[in-house]
Amino acid sequence: MPQLNPEFFVSQLFWLAVFFTFLFVFLWRVSLPRIATVLEKRQNKIDENLSSAKELQEQAMEIEKKINDQINRAKLETDEKIKNTINNLQEDASSQLFALDRELEKKVLDAEKEIKKNKDNQIKNINNEIANITKLTLGKITDIELSDSDLNKVIETNKVSLN
Amino acid sequence: MAAKDSPLKQFEIDPLSNIEVAGYNISFTNSSLAMLITVLVITLFLTLTVNTRSIVPSRMQLISELMYNFIAQLLSDTVGDNGKKYFPFVFSLFMFVLIGNMVGMIPYQFTFTSHIIVTFALAALVFIGVTILGFINHGIKFFSFFYIPGVPFYMHPLLIPIEVISYLSRPISLSVRLFANMLAGHTLLKVFAGFVVSMPFFTGVFPLAFIVALTGLEILIAFLQAYVFAILTCLYINDAYHLH
Repeated sequence: MPQLNPEFFVSQLFWLAVFFTFLFVFLWRVSLPRIATVLEKRQNKIDENLSSAKELQEQAMEIEKKINDQINRAKLETDEKIKNTINNLQEDASSQLFALDRELEKKVLDAEKEIKKNKDNQIKNINNEIANITKLTLGKITDIELSDSDLNKVIETNKVSLN
Repeated sequence: MAAKDSPLKQFEIDPLSNIEVAGYNISFTNSSLAMLITVLVITLFLTLTVNTRSIVPSRMQLISELMYNFIAQLLSDTVGDNGKKYFPFVFSLFMFVLIGNMVGMIPYQFTFTSHIIVTFALAALVFIGVTILGFINHGIKFFSFFYIPGVPFYMHPLLIPIEVISYLSRPISLSVRLFANMLAGHTLLKVFAGFVVSMPFFTGVFPLAFIVALTGLEILIAFLQAYVFAILTCLYINDAYHLH
């Protein structure tokens, strides 16, 4: 078994010491610090990004809150305005209706007055016409000349009331 | 079987250049070459992949970082905060054994972890280091490590020698575990490779298929043994901090 041959024990131990020492010192001083630096740099970057992400999230939440507040305020304002407008319109409409009623009432009264006036005139005219026709008819039939006052008296007693 | 076909022939050491200093033969051998390749692979890989130091890692950089985090996690799980200062050592040990095993999986490549002297030297380094660490941390009280509290007093004469023996056998178990695994795996591969050649006609396909499967298993073992070596080192370091 070559492993138990002591011929090369010293050689193997010597070169093992040389190479292992070199490896240890090289890794300790060069390679491992490099890897450690990279890992540390990455961890720092991750921490940094996480903290900035948290900060941004907080800012976003704040902005969202502001937006919600503004939306709520705007809603309240709009509701108020709609209510006011409805009230104003209702007031306007009722006042206009009232004015219209008044006007219509006045117009009806005026019309009634006019109608009454016209009716009186017409009755007067009819009475006059009746008097004239009566006068003419009497004149033609009988030769009796009635004075106007007499005629009126007769008509007055026999007149048909139109009312 | 002739000596040149022996499955153990692959473990023979060939000097590539003869060097002798103060009467000691420190020839640069195929074992030394495998160590050199291992060290070069580790240092070049860990240096070049992290060269850009990019925050978003490339695939290769990610492998380096995964290895780093793997051992860092292992050390913090077993030893805790005290373990941080031993990280370079445990990481070097893990990478050296792991890449040494992996380099050995390349056909015709020497596996230096299959030599007991190498694994024993590494285990002895851990053992001596941990023992010194224990005395630094606890002084003479470190001996209370062999005293198990809560046991009837008449058991101590039996238990203390057992504890001492189990402590002293740590470097042996640590080194033999790695050495025997590597030795057995590579020998088995070689034995089945011999079957491929010696079996008649196409029947050699079966041992060949077995070799393919066994190679996968060996790669797993290569990783597993490096992991076991590293985790036991961590546990021993932990023992040097926390006695019973």
